[in-house]
Order: sequence, then structure tokens, then C-alpha cells
Amino acid sequence: MLMIELLTDYTFRTVLLGTAMIGAVSGALGCFAYLRRQSLIGDVVSHSSLFGVMLFFLASYWLTGQGSKSLVVLIPGAICAGTAALLLTRTVVQRTRLKQDSSLGVMLAIFFGAGIVLLRWVQRVDPPIPGRRGLEDYLFGMAAAMTQDDLWMIGILGFLAILVMLLLWKELKVYTFDPLFSHSLGYRTAKLDTLLVMILVVGIVIGIQSVGVVLMIALLITPASAARQWTRRLGTMVILASLTGAVCGLVGSVISATYSHVPTGPVIVLASTLIFVVSLMLAPGRGIVSRMLHRSKLMSTIRQPNAGGDLP
Amino acid sequence: MLDNDPALSLKGLTVAYDTEPVLWNVDLEVPAGVLMGVVGPNGAGKSTLLKAVLGILPSLAGAIRVFGQPYSAQRTLIGYVPQRSSVDWDFPTTVLDLVLMGTYGRLGWFRRPGNAERKAARQALERVQMAEFANRQIGELSGGQQQRVFLARAFVQDAPLLLMDEPFAGVDATTEQTLVDLMRELRQKGKTLVIVHHDLTTVCEYFDQVALLNRKVIGAGHVSNVFTTELLEKTYGGSLNQCKVACRQFSTLTSESISRNQDGHADD
Repeated sequence: MLMIELLTDYTFRTVLLGTAMIGAVSGALGCFAYLRRQSLIGDVVSHSSLFGVMLFFLASYWLTGQGSKSLVVLIPGAICAGTAALLLTRTVVQRTRLKQDSSLGVMLAIFFGAGIVLLRWVQRVDPPIPGRRGLEDYLFGMAAAMTQDDLWMIGILGFLAILVMLLLWKELKVYTFDPLFSHSLGYRTAKLDTLLVMILVVGIVIGIQSVGVVLMIALLITPASAARQWTRRLGTMVILASLTGAVCGLVGSVISATYSHVPTGPVIVLASTLIFVVSLMLAPGRGIVSRMLHRSKLMSTIRQPNAGGDLP
Repeated sequence: MLDNDPALSLKGLTVAYDTEPVLWNVDLEVPAGVLMGVVGPNGAGKSTLLKAVLGILPSLAGAIRVFGQPYSAQRTLIGYVPQRSSVDWDFPTTVLDLVLMGTYGRLGWFRRPGNAERKAARQALERVQMAEFANRQIGELSGGQQQRVFLARAFVQDAPLLLMDEPFAGVDATTEQTLVDLMRELRQKGKTLVIVHHDLTTVCEYFDQVALLNRKVIGAGHVSNVFTTELLEKTYGGSLNQCKVACRQFSTLTSESISRNQDGHADD
């Protein structure tokens, strides 16, 4: 399809709007995951959600005789499985001597493994389950599969998560920076933590269809990592990451729709990686180029004949 | 809040990490308006004590009362200065923003800091000689500057009871003096300060009262009554002996050199 045709196509406008929203929401929320060093938690939620997607797909088949691939059905499943994986991790950390990262790794393997087993079974079972075609796209994402209902689901959930972030901005900020101090301010830190994890879960599951469970973590963390290079303020970082995410979402869906059979997830990941690498190189102050320039300037000052006097 | 009530009173406080008790049956009373140092060897539970008072760590047994009331009703009366190393100094925020966090408690939910809060934060920064750093990124600060900014935040928080976890760890002499001045100023304003401290040589100079802690309270009260060789030995066990030997050697050395100098002068 030509670009012009794509842009005038009603279905495709739905997809564009959807992926831009997913990128904007997960980019913004990803900043908190990045700053709290919780990227692994995000990855566990995203991989584990496949199990919930499969369970809710099967449940819809048993209830109606037709497996549903609507996000209105599958996102609640993804939220359940992602949350269950995190709650189990917490129990394991509290009850055993396993550390957080190894428990997370174990949960990811269990839930994603179970999800894959169910997926393979559904694909091969005879007689075939109606509606099963396209389920494998949840691994690497297929933005073109988005319907009007899916768009609404993504929009409402994304709006709620961003609203919570904005309303509790200063609480989430101080909690992310200094949890012990935020406790002394009188905040119920356990509740803040749950809330923050909940909006992160939302920021992840809205992307499972378009970006896929395997690579969704990239859309959460890479825009935040790129944005961090350009700014020294949390507010600016969230806005930049949100814009980056939106642009990557758009690029991903356009390319994946233009060349058929290209999954959306990897394209989005490549786009965000490009922005990330450019930021690492060129950002003023923190960037590699800027630091090299700074260093060579310092070296030339040192090599001057009257060096050893005052600090430059 | 009655003036007669102690700022902090702990009765039978027991705290454990996992299965290992760190604090055992701790009784401690901190009268209002004093500057109290908490000293003891590594692993004695000094930081744990502060965290238990704040409710960050759950206590297995015992009662914590803050100005005569149970802790849960008095949460906002306690200010806290965590160890400098407990936060990520690469967090994207400015010095002024960090100090403003001290006002978040009284602002309440949803409200953002305004001009009054900004003014208070700037004044606190001036007080710790950090005014010109207000718009700097916190990652650019030295260790001593970080500690001063933390103190400015506690100053803005303006709590009647302030708990500080090793504020003197790894700071330069100028910062140490600023911290001491500020602590004394806060006490003059009627605040109560409980400070975890490591350097035994400065205890007598800095604090009115001292608590010797090693899993339990070995002694607590006025520095002159508690900071004795006997109780210190009980707190530090064998390790203090070595320290005492070193001190004795040091003092003989210095007195020898002083007398030698005096001899020299006499010869002149």
C-alpha cells in the first residue's frame, strides 16, 4: 500500500492513533520503572501476561463457543497474570532466602512457559478452536490487528494511568527518589508502591497486542533511557520519553503495515534503539561526544606551556 | 503535646531482620529539647533503631511513644535524614527541588509547592551555605554538599523530633562545622534531635545526652554520666581495648612532644 492510501484509510488511522497512545503512555510511565531500576519487573509482567491472554481466550471460547481476541477480554487476563506473577515473587522473597532478581527470573520462566504451552496447544488442538488464528501475533505484536474496541480499551486504561501519575506527581516523585524520607513525610509507602506498580502494569499490558509480550519492555525502558540523557528534570524527562514512545509507535506501525508480514514489535524496538543510541552519543553534557570534546579541551589546557597554574 | 512528655519513649522494643533479632528489649527515653547521640559498634542496631521508630521496620514487641502518644497518631512530628548513600544521586532533579521535598508533608495530597515553599527552601539552602547551588543538578554535588542539602530538607520539614542517620559520615571539616551549628540552632528552637554517630572523640563536644547501644541500651542519659570507660567497654567489648591502647599511646606521644617542646623553649 502507498503511504497516502494508508493515511486516508480509516482502519489504519485507528492503528496509528492506538500505537501512538501506547508509546506515549508506556514512555511516560517507563521513566518511573527506569529510575526505580525496575525494568526486570516490567519484563516479568509483560512476558507473564501471555499466560493470562491464553487463559482468557480459552475462557471466552468455553463460554461463547468462539475464542475472543478483543483487548476488552484479553487485557484483563494480562493484568491478572502479570499481577499474579508479581505477588508470587513477593511471597517467595518474603518466605524464602531467594533474592528478588532470581525470584523474578523464575516467575518469568514459569508464566511465559505456561503461556507458550497453552498457545501451542490451542494452535494444534483438533477440532480447531474458532478465532485462534493470529494468537501467535501476541508474541511479537501486530498493530494492524487493532479494532475500534481495542482502541477504546487502550485509550481508557492509558488515560487512567496517566491521570493517576499526574495527580500523585509529587508523591510518586519523592517516593521514587527517597522512599525512606517519603515515609517520614507521613505517606503510606506500601500503598504508593502498589499504586505505582499498578500503573506500570497498565502501561505494559496496553501494548501486548501491537508490540507483543516479548519486546514490550523495550517500549517501556528505551524511551526513558534516551530521555534521561537530555534533561536534568523529572518532568522534562517524562514528556520527552512520552514523545519518543509515541514517535516509535507511529514509525513501527507504519513500517509494519507498509511491508506486510513484518511484526510491529521488532520495528518499534529498532526505532527506539536508534533514538537511544543517538541520545547516548549526542546529548549535551552526558553524551559520549560531548564528554570526549570536554576531555580533549581539558587535555589541551594541561599541555599548554604555563599549565599547572590555576584550575581551568 | 505536653511539655512534660518525653519526645521519644521506647519500652521493650524488639526488632528482628528475618529470624535474627537486632534490637532486644530496648528501653530509651529522649527528653524534649535535647541533642542525643546514639553510639555503638557496627551492627549494634543504630540505624535499625531509627527505622523502627519511623515504622519503616516492624517491631516484634514493645511500645513506641512520640510526645506521649502512640507513633501512628504522631507520624508527621518526626523528621528524618536518611544515610546519604541510601538514595541515587543521579536522579534527575535540582538541589532546590530536593529541598522542596521537605514541604511535601504539610502540603498534603495533590497540592504542588508554591512561592512560600520556594522561599522557605531557598532560606534553608542559605542556612547551609548552599544558596548558589539551588539550580544545580544533585549529581554534581560533593559528599559534604549532599549532606548539607539533606539537612536543608530536614530544616524545611520542620518536625519537632528529628532523627538523623550518620550525618557526619564522610564529610569534610567545613560541612561538619555547619552541621553542628545547625543542630545547635535547631535545639535552641526547642527541637529534639536523635543522631546516629560514629566518632567517639566528638561525642562530649557535640551532644547533651548519649545512648550507648549494642543490641540493647547499655546506658543512656547525660554525657558526663554515661560516657564512662566502664560503660563504653561494655558497649564495644574487646574492640574498645585496642582503641584505648591506641588512645593512651597517642596521649603519651603528644604529652612527650609537648614537654620536649617546652624543654626546648626553656633552653632558649
